[in-house]
Amino acid sequence: MGQIAQYAINGLMSGAIYALIAVGIVSVYKATKVVNFAHGYLIMFGAYFYYTFAVIFPGMDWAPAWLASWQPGWMTEMREGLTMFSPMGAVLDWAANLPRIVFGLAGALVCNAILGRIIERVLMRPLMGQSVFAMIMVTVGLISILSGGAQLIWTADADFVPTIAPNTPLRFEMFGTMIFLFGADLVNMVIALLMFGGIVLWVRYTKGGIAIRATAEDQSTAYSMGISVPKVFSRAWVLASTTGAIAGAILATRNGISPSLGLFGFSVLAIVLMGGLDSYVGVFIAAMSVGVLEAMTQWKMGGDWAEIVPYVTVLVVLIWRPHGLFGQKEVERI
Amino acid sequence: MINANLKASYGADERVLDNRYKQGFVYGMIVLLALFTMGANDYAILIASKMGLLLIAVVGINVLTGYTGLVSLGHGAFVAIGAYAVTIFNNVFTGTLPAGIMPFLSVPFAVALAAGIGIVVGLPSLRVKGLYLAVTTLSANFIVIFLIEQEVFAPWTGGMVGLTTNVPNILGWELDTKREMFGLIAVVGLATILMAQNLIRTRVGRAFIAIRDRDYSAEILGISLLRYKLTSFAISAAFCGLSGALFAFFYARILPEQFELNLSLELVAALIIGGMGRTMGPVFGVIIIVMVPEVIKITFGAITGDAAGMAQLRAPLQEIAFGLLLVVFLLKEPLGINQITDRLLRAANRWPFARG
Amino acid sequence: MLKIENLHLSFGGIKALQGVNFEAREGEITGVIGPNGAGKTSLFNSISGFYTPDQGSVSFEGNDITGLSPDKRAELGLARTFQNIALFRGMTVLDNIKLGGHTRLKTGVWQALRYFGAARREELELRRDIEERVIDFLEIDHIRKYPITMLPYGLQKRVELGRALAMRPKVLLLDEPVAGMNREETADMARFILDVQDEFGTTVLLVEHDMHMVMDICSQIVVLNFGQQIASGTPAEVSRNDAVIEAYLGAAA
Repeated sequence: MGQIAQYAINGLMSGAIYALIAVGIVSVYKATKVVNFAHGYLIMFGAYFYYTFAVIFPGMDWAPAWLASWQPGWMTEMREGLTMFSPMGAVLDWAANLPRIVFGLAGALVCNAILGRIIERVLMRPLMGQSVFAMIMVTVGLISILSGGAQLIWTADADFVPTIAPNTPLRFEMFGTMIFLFGADLVNMVIALLMFGGIVLWVRYTKGGIAIRATAEDQSTAYSMGISVPKVFSRAWVLASTTGAIAGAILATRNGISPSLGLFGFSVLAIVLMGGLDSYVGVFIAAMSVGVLEAMTQWKMGGDWAEIVPYVTVLVVLIWRPHGLFGQKEVERI
Repeated sequence: MINANLKASYGADERVLDNRYKQGFVYGMIVLLALFTMGANDYAILIASKMGLLLIAVVGINVLTGYTGLVSLGHGAFVAIGAYAVTIFNNVFTGTLPAGIMPFLSVPFAVALAAGIGIVVGLPSLRVKGLYLAVTTLSANFIVIFLIEQEVFAPWTGGMVGLTTNVPNILGWELDTKREMFGLIAVVGLATILMAQNLIRTRVGRAFIAIRDRDYSAEILGISLLRYKLTSFAISAAFCGLSGALFAFFYARILPEQFELNLSLELVAALIIGGMGRTMGPVFGVIIIVMVPEVIKITFGAITGDAAGMAQLRAPLQEIAFGLLLVVFLLKEPLGINQITDRLLRAANRWPFARG
Repeated sequence: MLKIENLHLSFGGIKALQGVNFEAREGEITGVIGPNGAGKTSLFNSISGFYTPDQGSVSFEGNDITGLSPDKRAELGLARTFQNIALFRGMTVLDNIKLGGHTRLKTGVWQALRYFGAARREELELRRDIEERVIDFLEIDHIRKYPITMLPYGLQKRVELGRALAMRPKVLLLDEPVAGMNREETADMARFILDVQDEFGTTVLLVEHDMHMVMDICSQIVVLNFGQQIASGTPAEVSRNDAVIEAYLGAAA
């Protein structure tokens, strides 16, 4: 029983990150009707930006020492007398990294926002009004450009980055067994959930969000009502690339940094279709379910099989419900 | 001015090569291809074989995406199925079946298997359209490659390390040089183009195009969407399977990673660059998709002089070039190279009376 | 020939059709009229199989076809045109009309891939047939190799009629065949519809707003308003019907 709880919690934690990635795909789809096949590679760029600002730059000669490792006097004092692997030690390790974590996240956010804007302006804007097929295939071309570009800029192989939160091991009891977690994973989940919720609320209640929803309903009517559709497009892409930057940073702390981070985009694409493409709620439920299913598969069949869980699930769900769990069926006028 | 366009019978009007210029062009090209097979150097043969193998698969995906309007980002899976099926068939039946007739059984087996799995993968197409299909086919690709890599099937598929393939033996004639193999690929390639052309000028292909252009209008004419969408999937998967079978014959070894998403995207990109839904589209497309990386490789080698530090930049550059090609064509010439040649031909047709 | 019995159809809360009953008699032209939103196109979509009615039935030559898919109905001999032309825009006129012959041909995948032999014979036979029966008949031989996009509206309508005729239908459904046409084009189209009935004995059911044309060529008229059938009968009967006058002109104060 306890085993199930342990794996379910692991699943929910990765599900929350899937949801955060999915938010980018859904928002771009809502505003522009484009399903971004390259979203995973946008996330990969976010991860590499985080790596650049949190690892490469602080390691450079010109960087101040406190950026690479912040060691104020009080911290050194507290460190004295601590045993190895003590929770307090993990917190202090994190505190020492704090400047570069903040610097890394800020850098990733800004750079990815610029990247998202450039992509929208250069590639997607000229295709406004063109066939959906053409727009989707442009994002497919973008996969190669981004993946090749990352390898060109960051030739380094897989590397590690500082975790966003203290990586204290946590133990507690649930259903009579010990559950074992890392603090950083828990904080990642909270960050992902908060961002997801924030975006949903933003889209529902703010002026900018309503503009996105209006554009999703009917582009030309929204345009004629005074909503600047191009602005909505670029806002959606920036939203996607900034959430992608955070998701990328989180993924980088969990999986290490490598070009294969881009593949996450495809599993999340499957999750998004499963949930219904334009429904935040549906996508959230799908992300969480897939996260848990993956964890269960990992438990019962081994880590290999977990990687195809999203793909198998999407096929099953779409055959059963063609428009996803919560998607709306479009009525075709003849 | 292109003349000789007047026809005296419906038969003459229904021909594909309906004037002397087209006939001259096609027959001339076939002669050139034959001369090329005999005279070209090994490097040229290797490049041309790559094009030929890709061409057969792209013709297949043209049937599905170009004619029927169903998007697939997973046809690399069918190439994999063709390649593995032909090799496994061979390994299982070596000794029981005479080597000389093996290809006549193994290739149809591989093609039929690919077509069968194509129908299964195509099933969601009955209920979902467009991008949903792109994702389901993409998922199918991941699943197929994953299964091939599994330890459980390793006794047949070789798992991650792949399989050593065998040389085809056609009635005692062993195609053990690349040149002979290219001859086979060229013949099969021409045959697939001809078959695709035949398809679209008769009932079945017209039904495909009707589904692409306006599916409800096709239904009203008595075209069963179920039947024709699945037929289209089966045909395109079969062509990809055929390409895979030849791929296995051509290379000494097959690995699962050769058939991953990259291959699927390459197929679609070649089709878009060449021209979707056009007979010659795949031909133009594969020439570009194979030549551009080669050109980059050659110029890159010439500039950097094969410096070890720079060599690792080549692959990313090729990848970027591939993506840029696709994006530039979609932005500037979404109907592909075929559209450019059409424009030139129209201009030639009117010359010297009008331009454009 | 084509019998509609007690047809009900609704979308969510909107009742598009509420109890429509009539029969299109063999070899005759039946007209369906009604103000905008009366349910005429919904009726056509139910007859051709795109919508499944909530209640009631459609029968064709005495057989109930309510549950059949559109392509099965086409095979039985039901053809139609659409209000906003549903031709295949990328294809030529000839290819569009050839598609009309789909149900009559037998070429399978294998024959199609080979072409030479059975498929070629059948193609040439089809070509001769549509040239003689459709292209000559509708006087569109000068545009047969033109892509649809190059044709003016009136000709596109005619090509769509041609595509339906190539099916050799027993019943032809025409959804606003002269909508948006000028007087000459309307007269041409009316003449073609009468010729079709005359020459091939086809049963015609048409929806139209052009009262003059409907009154002139139909032998029976069905009037719909807000999904309800408010009258039916000969043109003379319908034009005297109070309910019809009220629906079109509004109630007298």
